[in-house]
Amino acid sequence: MGAWGGGTTHRPNGQKSAQMLRSGREPVNDGGVSAKPSVAGPALRHVLSRFSYGVTPALVADARELGGSAQWFEAQLAPESVPDSEATAMRSWFGYLDAPPDQLVAATASGSSSPYEATAALARWTILRRTYSRRQLFETMVEFWSNLLHVPLLDASAWPFRQGYDALIRQHALGRFDDMLPATTLHPAMGLYLDNALSTKEAINENLGRELLELHTVGVGTGYTEEEVLDSARILSGWRVDGMDSFASYYSAAHHWTGPVSVLDFQEANASADGRGITARYLSYLAHHPRTARRIATRLCVRFVADQPSEAIVDVVAAAYLSSGTDIKATLLALHSHPDFTGSASGKIRTPAEDAIACFRALGARAWRPKTAADFGRAVTWQLQLLGVMPFGWHSPAGFPDVGAAWSSVGRMLGSLYLHQVLANRWKEPYGVVYPPLADQLPVLPASLDVIVDHVSRQVLQLPATPQMQRAVLQVVDMPAGQEVRTAAEFGEWRMSQLLATMLNSPAHMKR
Amino acid sequence: MATPSDYACGCRDFRTSRRTFLKGIGVVGGLGVLTSVVGDVFTEAHGGAPAGGSVLVVLSLRGGSDGLSLVVPHGDPGYAAARPTIAVPPESLLVRDEMFGLHPGFAPLEQMWTDGGFGAVQAVGMPQPDRSHFSAMERVEDADPGSPDRVGWINRMVGLTGIGVPNQAIQLGTPMAPTALFGPAETMAVSGLSNMSLLSGDTPVEIQDRTRSALEQLWKGDTSLLGTGMASTLQVTRDLSTLARTTEPVQNGAQYPDGDLATSLQQTARLIRADVGTQVVTIDYGSWDHHTDIGTVDDGELTSMVRTMSESLAAFFTELGADAARVTLVTISEFGRTISENGSAGAEHGYGNCMLLLGAGVKGGEVHGRWPGLDSAELVDGDLGVSLDYRSVFAEIVAKRFPDASLSQVFPDFKPEDVGAMA
Repeated sequence: MGAWGGGTTHRPNGQKSAQMLRSGREPVNDGGVSAKPSVAGPALRHVLSRFSYGVTPALVADARELGGSAQWFEAQLAPESVPDSEATAMRSWFGYLDAPPDQLVAATASGSSSPYEATAALARWTILRRTYSRRQLFETMVEFWSNLLHVPLLDASAWPFRQGYDALIRQHALGRFDDMLPATTLHPAMGLYLDNALSTKEAINENLGRELLELHTVGVGTGYTEEEVLDSARILSGWRVDGMDSFASYYSAAHHWTGPVSVLDFQEANASADGRGITARYLSYLAHHPRTARRIATRLCVRFVADQPSEAIVDVVAAAYLSSGTDIKATLLALHSHPDFTGSASGKIRTPAEDAIACFRALGARAWRPKTAADFGRAVTWQLQLLGVMPFGWHSPAGFPDVGAAWSSVGRMLGSLYLHQVLANRWKEPYGVVYPPLADQLPVLPASLDVIVDHVSRQVLQLPATPQMQRAVLQVVDMPAGQEVRTAAEFGEWRMSQLLATMLNSPAHMKR
Repeated sequence: MATPSDYACGCRDFRTSRRTFLKGIGVVGGLGVLTSVVGDVFTEAHGGAPAGGSVLVVLSLRGGSDGLSLVVPHGDPGYAAARPTIAVPPESLLVRDEMFGLHPGFAPLEQMWTDGGFGAVQAVGMPQPDRSHFSAMERVEDADPGSPDRVGWINRMVGLTGIGVPNQAIQLGTPMAPTALFGPAETMAVSGLSNMSLLSGDTPVEIQDRTRSALEQLWKGDTSLLGTGMASTLQVTRDLSTLARTTEPVQNGAQYPDGDLATSLQQTARLIRADVGTQVVTIDYGSWDHHTDIGTVDDGELTSMVRTMSESLAAFFTELGADAARVTLVTISEFGRTISENGSAGAEHGYGNCMLLLGAGVKGGEVHGRWPGLDSAELVDGDLGVSLDYRSVFAEIVAKRFPDASLSQVFPDFKPEDVGAMA
């Protein structure tokens, strides 16, 4: 299918192929000589942009077929109803993705894989899902929860469990937070990453007990004390993982600290050595806490609305979270229908990772099963690593920052500019990827440069070319504006790559 | 609108003096965004900072370094009692006096200590404990408690003393600027020097120039954060293009170990040598968040990190050669660690910590500060107490090395105490 949804085939005499019309572009009929691909209106573009990894003609066509942005949004909240066979098939491209921890470790011990390769498979598959899945909103929510409840890919002890952790996040991503939280908190990946698996009643390790409060739920402004952090860790003691031999996770009453505990308004005697009941009640308490609602609402608004969302929208979203019993879909619906969301178009800056994936989509990269490390499907992680934004690669439990201020440095700009240049030059083709042929990227020829620029802008940015864009292109393509281009060969691959790079370097691409 | 001849002032030559440089920027200010953001700074800077001025390198030990393992208080009986497994044996300590000694991993810097170029301050920290990595690091770098303005102290400093160009304060190692650099004064964060050119260092100049022109068109008038970032990028790549395009061998026989810290320090040395107006370089090195396995002096995470850090710092100062006389390096961490070890031979988040000072102006060869002791009466929630606000240490460095900076503006509402760690 590919990100451009079929592509156009233009015949020299100006006839359009049936394929082009099927992909959803409605030609502007001015005698059949030229046809400007229509673009999504601003409202549709905004919804699609925020809840996907990049607006493409195919995505717009999907939404129009369903009846518009609201219908698309609703359908995306039921991802199992969205056919996704092409992206789903990509899972089989990566061996060991479904392997249990002991198998992964055995593979690395035998030399047929390494911890880096094993975890890189998850990162690669994730990048491909974000690029190709038609369940775009679902993928954005998987990223959201993975960041809030961050466990890095390459933690020394947790890595064999990381892909199981991903499956768990996917299971609950559009479910309920009060199901998500106990699942992630008690998963062996989290237990090993934040040391709860080593915590014993004689020597309590506070790491998970602290981050559960600070990063996963109520947040540090709630005003809990160090003693409460200790009690939080005490409640969680007993959840063990054998990270060396059996890789089994189990509950050990012998390791559970007993005695009265008090965290915020959660107070229990905690007299039983079997602390599984109190753990469940404590995590449920935290999931439903108003400060958790506020914090999650704020993070959702920062992700999907603005770097500094208004109190008003955060209030509404937090209220929906609580009144629905921590239902994530209800929470998202409240966010989507708030006027602050509608009015926030183009205000968010793309992180370098989002930028890269949006480039793959905008350029119409079509990938197939990678056979070697040089192939696109495996090489995608290198590009993101160079920018310091490997999926699940953040160095601290806080996850990556989601505000523009973090991603506007000179270093980021240099990295992304370089990336755009590389990708626009048909990166990696023909090793596991192909981009639309030059003839398919151009409008009906002959056409003047400004017509070509406008046509490509509508494909790549889903916007008509602005005068600024036209002037920018003139700087790089070494051709006068009015000159007629008669054949694709005359325009040439080099000019097209520079034109594409210019599109990707624009504010329209680097914001969402 | 600036024309190519305006840059004939020699901005491509990175040894241009600051005054000519300022003149060039005044014209380039036609980019709009740059002028409005750095306008105030130009006014201040017209006094002109001297060429070959002081440089401060702030090495952030991310994660909460265990100061008790670095500058070891072996003379305090509370130390060994609280750390049956992980206490550093006194006989292995370097430059040992009655109370303190350095972790043996500091061996490559032992001579520097003895020569007086390397010192430390113990029992330093924030006025109130904050054992959360993220808010503690932010507070340390913001250095302005109680203020809602998210402007880092380094940013305030360069905003006051410098020429207002993005290469004045640089973060090396990641593309992410730390909190200390956030603020209206332009700063930059890059992975490495070769990345400081538009497109790759070996892209033909003509292509870079055309891309530059296209970017100027695309981003004209964009006042968003990203737009400001783009304007800075265009400026600094123009200024540093030669530095980015060339490589230099390591100077003065310095021998760096492997690793990112060594790479960042090597690049820092190069940047300082080039003397392009950089006053502050920040580098992150971590993670020191040793909840588990601090290890022993023979083996273990912390030992190997101290050794790597020491080798890297020793090589850095060797490479600087004559420039070492104007470079001061200081370490900071968001908090120390608990005195007691935990069940995993590690330590939890604590409070008081040490800061290490190396280079120009440092009164080395001693441990400064006031040691509160490890008696339970002196501890704060079971952690080492804080006798000196960390800002006093920074303030003393700034006062000695950047006398033009107004301390009351860099550290608002703060009365620094005398530390005595700087000459």
